[in-house]
Amino acid sequence: MSLRAELKYKIIKDYGAPALMAFQDLKKRKPRPIPEAFGPPLESNKRLKEILSRHYFLARYVPGVKKVAWVTSGAPVELLRAFDFYTIYPENHSALVGARKQGADYCSIAEGSGYSQDLCSYARIDLGHLLSGKTPAGKLPKPDLLFCSNNICQTVLYWYKAIAHELNIPLIHFDAPFVATEQTEADINYMAQQLQDMIPILERVSQRVFYVDVFERILKSSQETSQTWGAILNAMEAQPAPMTIFDAFGHLAPIVSLRGLPVAQDYYNILREEVDTRVAQGIGAISDERYRLIWDNIAIWYKVRFLATFFAERKMNFVTATYTNAWAETTGYLDVTKPWTSMAKTYGRIILNNNLKHRLDLMKKMIKTYSVDGMVMHSTRSCKPYSVGQFDLRKAITADLNLPAVILDADIADERVWSEQQIHTRLEAFCETLEGSKHG
Amino acid sequence: MMIPNRSEYLKSLAQSGQKIMGVLPALYPRELLWAFDIHTAEIWDPPGEILHANAHLQTTICPIVKRSLEFILKEPEIINAGYLFPHTCDSLQNLGTQVKDLIGVNVPVYTFYNPKGSFNNTTTKYYREILQNFQTTLETVYEPLNPEKLLSACVLGHKIDSRLMAIQQARMTNHLSLDNSAYFELMRAQEYLLPLDYLNLLGKIDILEQAIEPARARLMVSGILPPSPEVLKFLDELGVSVVADDLLAVSRRIPKFPMDAPLLPLDYLTDRFFILPPCSTRAGDLEERLHHIDKLMQASQAQGILFDIVKFCEPELFDHRLLVKTLRERNIPVLTLETELQAYLSGQDKTRIEAFTELLFDMVSA
Ligand code: SF4
Ligand code: SF4
Repeated sequence: MSLRAELKYKIIKDYGAPALMAFQDLKKRKPRPIPEAFGPPLESNKRLKEILSRHYFLARYVPGVKKVAWVTSGAPVELLRAFDFYTIYPENHSALVGARKQGADYCSIAEGSGYSQDLCSYARIDLGHLLSGKTPAGKLPKPDLLFCSNNICQTVLYWYKAIAHELNIPLIHFDAPFVATEQTEADINYMAQQLQDMIPILERVSQRVFYVDVFERILKSSQETSQTWGAILNAMEAQPAPMTIFDAFGHLAPIVSLRGLPVAQDYYNILREEVDTRVAQGIGAISDERYRLIWDNIAIWYKVRFLATFFAERKMNFVTATYTNAWAETTGYLDVTKPWTSMAKTYGRIILNNNLKHRLDLMKKMIKTYSVDGMVMHSTRSCKPYSVGQFDLRKAITADLNLPAVILDADIADERVWSEQQIHTRLEAFCETLEGSKHG
Repeated sequence: MMIPNRSEYLKSLAQSGQKIMGVLPALYPRELLWAFDIHTAEIWDPPGEILHANAHLQTTICPIVKRSLEFILKEPEIINAGYLFPHTCDSLQNLGTQVKDLIGVNVPVYTFYNPKGSFNNTTTKYYREILQNFQTTLETVYEPLNPEKLLSACVLGHKIDSRLMAIQQARMTNHLSLDNSAYFELMRAQEYLLPLDYLNLLGKIDILEQAIEPARARLMVSGILPPSPEVLKFLDELGVSVVADDLLAVSRRIPKFPMDAPLLPLDYLTDRFFILPPCSTRAGDLEERLHHIDKLMQASQAQGILFDIVKFCEPELFDHRLLVKTLRERNIPVLTLETELQAYLSGQDKTRIEAFTELLFDMVSA
């Protein structure tokens, strides 16, 4: 670790980053007018932007100071935090690229170099970034280590394998057996043992020693943060709901990528206070919430604003989503006194690593708890584990709960897949059915 | 070489009261099922039109998954002991639970997890436990397993492996006089013949003492399934022999090197799993896979490689880019075809195969 780099990083962290944030505040464009259909925006948005900009900004100065790890969203990052890795989440970065409607550009770079257009667009965007060095985040530090888990998909494993090969760096993989019926003792022990096997490798790469008390502190913080996130989502049971799920898609970033760090917990305390206040004062995210919806699957990042407005104008609010719930659902299993086995349960049972009966039951429960009137399912071209089975899930839910539902064929971050005409027709038909079902 | 027709063979087995389990791709402990007298009929690419599966699956799902579901939805009577979904990829993972938990079929549905990534003691121990758990699951449905039967099943599996290795070796060194179509028909017969019938069939294959005249050009194939019969026939017509393969349905299921005869069945099956060739679906190391392909190309003196990629197959598509890039850097001719398992050869693919084989012929004559 170079002393110079460390000093520079400290100065940037203590003075540079705050100065940049202040400057960004000054040069900020006049805020866009809020369409009438929406309630007052969340104050916390500003803080969220600061945290994320700071995280990406500091990342530029981190090489030589901390070891950098690229991590998948479902990986047990707490272990890495115990070694003080600076973590970058390529999925989060790809979502950012997608939200800026630049997904197709990055995908094309990857495709031009031989990756198929049929692969997950998060992966293609990341590989496009890697091959070109382009990023809207300024500059991303190259990883010293890759850390992935197939508890969200096997795709990440293939994708990280490709990066590991390209950059000739180590890849640590946490193999999470799919829960076809229920987790067995063997599954739990296997995962717990893998985590412990990782320690010497992480010590070698990070050149740091593992301290169990540090790790437990991080685990506790991570657990608290996930619980706070869960409480924020629960607040959307209120009518009107204080946020829309489109807000939550944005506010998800710290729980995904800063989990286990104090900054994430501090942030969610602020957000929680704000949503609780809104609930107490009856302030809704949309001005006249008449219908409440559930969203299934990952966001369509390049159309978040469009969809938010489309539904808000029709007095429809998304109050829950399987996607946002994923970082709160299994936190209850975490137990600091049994770190390894409890992490195996927490990370092994998440929605995408669990069978479709589990998903069906969970969705039905969410529909009831959040007083949901209709369901929108995003069938994304990118994501097989999230999308295969949706047709039958829809059938089961509409049959059992008599709930209007629509499936949108699109993609998470590759905007070339969006078909305006087709989506519009489907959405209009869905809204008509929904209105008819509630009033008819 | 007379190989029984797949559906007629399975139909007559079912009529005779044989327990038959439909097994989806790709890796599973077949010997364990045999020990319970369950015959394994593998479902890779059942023919016919896809009609009903489209109501359950998106358009961007691979044809193997679609065809398998189409087959399952027909509730075929030959499958009387259930379905087994090995954990091969994201799509099959979800299809397993979709069939079991949402669609529902009138026979039991089993799953089998194959560990992913790099392998070490932790993985080995776990795999053995999975085997044990699978045995226990089957014991709750059938009677307790007779250890002798499991050992015999492993011995049978070991004999099949050994014979297949010998045949592969003969193919690579020109000691086999089968054309491409016949060779892969033989390889694929293991998907549905009773193990003893298959072993007998393999025993009838002549491994020649004297090497035969090599074909005009020699090719290796990689992918999930062998190229379609139409492609294989066309290669035969062109005088190109497929001498080695890195196919999931074929070579990637045969141990990399000979194993000792089994003594302790579950240990044997564990060892066998871990010495299978590197495979995209197990997220095997890319360097290792490249090295393995290299070795096969050298041993078979193949001049080029044909990647026959199943449309939308993520595991293969990720590895494919790097494999092609590296092989091209080594001046090895590479051709990639994308297949939707259609039973015809398009004019465009025909032209590409012709151009590719010309290149191989030029290399041979250079
Ligand atoms: S979008 Fe789906 S396939 Fe892509 S990385 Fe995320 S979970 Fe995996
Ligand atoms: S072809 Fe590929 S995607 Fe399809 S079932 Fe096989 S491994 Fe899975």
